[in-house]
Amino acid sequence: MLKIILRHASLLILTLFVLSFFSFSLAYLFPGDPLVNLTGIRGSSEQEYALLAEQYAMHSSFIVQYWQYVMHLFSGNWGLSFSSGLPLAEEISRSLAASVELSAYALIFSFLIGLPLGFLSGLRHHKFTDFTLLTASVIGYSIPVFWAALIAILIFSIQLGWFPLSGRISLLYDVPFETGFILIDILLSDLPDKEFAFQDALRHLVLPSVSIAIVTCTIVLRITRRSIVEVMSSEYIQAAYARGLSPRQVFLRHGVKNALIPILPLLVMQFTTLLTNAMIVETIFSWPGIGNGLIQAIYQRDFPAIRAGMLAVSALVLTFTITIDMVIQIFDPAGRRPENATS
Amino acid sequence: MPRLNLYQEEYYPSPIQNTWKEFKENHAALLSLYCVIFFIFLMIFGPFLAPYDPLQQNIDLLLVPPAWDNNGDISYLFGTDGLGRDMLSRIIYGCRMTFGISLVLVIISMLVGVALGAMAGMSKGLRSSVVNHLLDSIMAIPTLLIAIIIIAIVGTGLVNSMWAISLALIPQFIHQTRDIVRQKMKKEYVLAAQLDGAGKIHIFFNSILPNMAEMLVVQVTLALSVAILDISALGFLNLGAQAPSPELGALLSEGLTTAYVAPWNIALPGAAIFFMMMSINLVGDGLRSALRYRLLR
Repeated sequence: MLKIILRHASLLILTLFVLSFFSFSLAYLFPGDPLVNLTGIRGSSEQEYALLAEQYAMHSSFIVQYWQYVMHLFSGNWGLSFSSGLPLAEEISRSLAASVELSAYALIFSFLIGLPLGFLSGLRHHKFTDFTLLTASVIGYSIPVFWAALIAILIFSIQLGWFPLSGRISLLYDVPFETGFILIDILLSDLPDKEFAFQDALRHLVLPSVSIAIVTCTIVLRITRRSIVEVMSSEYIQAAYARGLSPRQVFLRHGVKNALIPILPLLVMQFTTLLTNAMIVETIFSWPGIGNGLIQAIYQRDFPAIRAGMLAVSALVLTFTITIDMVIQIFDPAGRRPENATS
Repeated sequence: MPRLNLYQEEYYPSPIQNTWKEFKENHAALLSLYCVIFFIFLMIFGPFLAPYDPLQQNIDLLLVPPAWDNNGDISYLFGTDGLGRDMLSRIIYGCRMTFGISLVLVIISMLVGVALGAMAGMSKGLRSSVVNHLLDSIMAIPTLLIAIIIIAIVGTGLVNSMWAISLALIPQFIHQTRDIVRQKMKKEYVLAAQLDGAGKIHIFFNSILPNMAEMLVVQVTLALSVAILDISALGFLNLGAQAPSPELGALLSEGLTTAYVAPWNIALPGAAIFFMMMSINLVGDGLRSALRYRLLR
């Protein structure tokens, strides 16, 4: 177990090192002064510039500069955004929390829908229910996520007026920033009309989370179905039937567990797909998340924001996947891959 | 019991014939194969089919509804957009552009990915281990995210987005090829070839590649639908194809400005992407299950 942890930790450190080094070199690759690209402070006086250059060790070698950059990253000094002039560390942590919140709800939603339907479809393998669900899943899987979001807006907010068009919460409510997750923030806050604010935030969440959950839902359905089909046709299930267990007992005692464990990592990994889809959908719903921020930064050629946003998103995704991989390997010995690449 | 031999000649279908027989049984997959062929046809002969020039603006005919609407005009089957350009021609050109670009990108990434994957799969030791672990962590990142990051660095534009997507697709091919090559390297026919003195390149092309071609086709269909989604998503976000060009994603984002009065301008290009992706996904699915079940019957 220690070996697994060590291996994953070293992999994580290696990839984070590569990422941070890459983001540092971006300051040189982007047009303009590297120091300005690193700090985001433009039009500073000569003295200020000299001071900044001192802080970032611009006159020393490349490696020392990188070291200073990493130190600045760890101390929370990520530079300023060109367009807003605000500290990036704060901006990005806010918007990242918004994106993660959106994708987390979408993930929960797609599990709630996808897993039971996957079970149903797997148990009725090659029957009418299965074909219907499979067809629905192909349709859901092929819908481009941005188109789904647009159609949802056209129908549910413009035609029917059930849900708000854009944003995270109505401007009437001023929710103080605590965790970054708006629903939790509302519950923690002491607003006079908490319930209304909560309902309003929920109504804002429905359309974006459902439109990104469609794709993941179908992926969850297909993975679960495949796994159930494979498990239910295996020999120990036949043996359980032979011992006289009812289909219900067989499924609950032997089927569910054995079908779910191997696919759990695959299912959790869908979070990264969700995050990417969330980044697109955010621009449609004006959700103040990282995707919206990064894409605006690309439009405005806001180099410090691109650098920091890219670093934050990729570091989050990689840390997430490596951690999940580690947890799975610790708890599920069967899922361990061969230790050496030579096998 | 020895098999009764009634006939002098026995017909054994080849694996590909088996696959095709199994694939034909799946009507949805067959239908979508025809759809894919239709899109390929559209890609090649699009300019001859499109009734108008996709960029030609007509100020007299702004936002004409589609022909099935009461106010529609049959000479503009899908209506016109906010600048009076014919939607049908734009969608035909858009399918051509999106599908064609995706096809080219997938083929490029396949060639690069298979070459690198074969090298990774046949090498051993520390280097291969490092490559594998890095690859596994890259694989976990969705291609679109990689593409957005690459575009953030190199700047927006159609050519840049093409680079970004083909770079982002390569790791999947490397991964897949590497796994298959590693499996096949343990087979006895490879050992036999090795004993005959075949070199690595010879083994790869003569022993391994024919056996992995089918999996490669499945992977190509997967990558193709991903590439279509990515390129249209980037076009939609204005990061890829820019405004006047009739790329399907760019068409969608242009339609946004008139979405309230002319919803067909976002419904139709999106539907085109949807049908394209659905037919490719169904072909891929059908192929995969045909490969899985072809020996069972």
